[in-house]
Amino acid sequence: MEQVQKNTIMNQKADSTFLVEMKKTAAGKRILDCIQCGICAGSCHARFAMDYSPMQIIKMVQLGLKDDVLSSSTIWICASCYTCTSRCPRGIDIPLIMSSLKNMAMENKVPAKIPTKPKFHKAFTEIVGKYGRMHEPQLQVKLMKKTSPKEVLNNMLFGVEMFRKGKVKVTPSRVKHSKDIEAIFKSAQKKEEVQK
Amino acid sequence: MKYAYFPGCSVEASAHEYGMSCMAVNKVLGIELVEIPDWNCCGSIDAVHAYNPELSLSLSARNFSIAEAMNMEIVTLCSACFFTLSRASKMLHEDPNLKGAVDKIINDAGLKFTGEVKVRHYLDVLINDVGPSKIAENVKVPLKGLKVAPYYGCLLVRPPQVRSFDDPEHPKSMDRIIEAVGAQSLDYPDKTRCCGASLALTDESVMLEMTKDVLLSAKAIGADCIVTPCPMCHFNLDAKQEDVEGRYDLKIDMPILYFTQLMGIAFGLDPKELGLGRNVVSLKKILDKIKTPIPAVAKA
Repeated sequence: MEQVQKNTIMNQKADSTFLVEMKKTAAGKRILDCIQCGICAGSCHARFAMDYSPMQIIKMVQLGLKDDVLSSSTIWICASCYTCTSRCPRGIDIPLIMSSLKNMAMENKVPAKIPTKPKFHKAFTEIVGKYGRMHEPQLQVKLMKKTSPKEVLNNMLFGVEMFRKGKVKVTPSRVKHSKDIEAIFKSAQKKEEVQK
Repeated sequence: MKYAYFPGCSVEASAHEYGMSCMAVNKVLGIELVEIPDWNCCGSIDAVHAYNPELSLSLSARNFSIAEAMNMEIVTLCSACFFTLSRASKMLHEDPNLKGAVDKIINDAGLKFTGEVKVRHYLDVLINDVGPSKIAENVKVPLKGLKVAPYYGCLLVRPPQVRSFDDPEHPKSMDRIIEAVGAQSLDYPDKTRCCGASLALTDESVMLEMTKDVLLSAKAIGADCIVTPCPMCHFNLDAKQEDVEGRYDLKIDMPILYFTQLMGIAFGLDPKELGLGRNVVSLKKILDKIKTPIPAVAKA
């Protein structure tokens, strides 16, 4: 009898550990519940800017297409608006799955289709580590393309306008018990290193 | 009515007028918000969470730890903080292993928490604890003839699995407040669309496209202004409106207010107290309509 081979195209690229890894994450443990109905794909407000729809990403994780998923723009474009999850008949937390995929992409140092994104996550976390709170102007400066004079100028003009409107807090607001924040960061980061 | 207040980072800075107008309105309605002492970043929806999920949950947990000692429900103005804290509480409640890991981190900082404290959005408090009739009773300047498009955005009502006080597809809470202050609340298709949120910082063209859809949708139904309950939505719709106009060669000129500012105007409060000079798109059009002057930006 003729042998039916499934996923012929995928086989060479599939990484069998990918699904196992994803199933260990908070939202990923339910990834096989997906029935590929497409409601997430049809509902996504940012789909126009993604290379794969959320539904496709879920299927690709199931198939073990790690490289394609982690190098997709989709995982970075997801704005966590939760329209997909609100409508998902299986109640899968798709934005949280995207979040785990971002985490994996950053840890594996996969070049991001939107290069500012990994920088955003790193810079945001660093600022919170320093003050215990966000300081918006510093985040803006850290993410600015300093090589583009036009962007630097536009950012400066925007900053001046925001300052004029009383929306810029020049001195960062900070947590007084900075030792708490230091200890939390130290403990959480140590734990992550052990897992790696 | 007394609550543990979590301001969040935006309300301290770019959304200062949201906090100002909320405090002004509270005096009228007898709501007491007691700031959670030495609160920290809520943990972020995704910015820190994608970098290190347990770190993000631990940041939420430190806030729980302080708030739990206050023995009051947590109330926040920011939709994103509301969602982040609610989700953290839910995740920690449902997953003992995760709770154990976060307990360890929090204990290392010499703290402890249960995670069982209730997190609520200020809009929920207004609708369910205060009630629209009490709001209506305090109106001094009925906003008759003002057409207001309520823009709910995402995380105030979605996803219902986390914690919801309103319908995720057709929310009504802000409509009821608009009507209570005598204005006309408009129904339109994009009131729960996403504005693009933090894509403003990383992929601005995508955010502008998403924000444009919301602005045009409200304009198409003849809105005089949009009101919002979220600092991030407000920033994109208001501060980035000029960029939307530039990119698509449009004239939108749509005033964007926090719903607390609209309430304050109707309560006849001092425009300075409501931070009306801080909104980027001029409010002149609507304030002329209801005969209220725009103040200069006051130092806060």
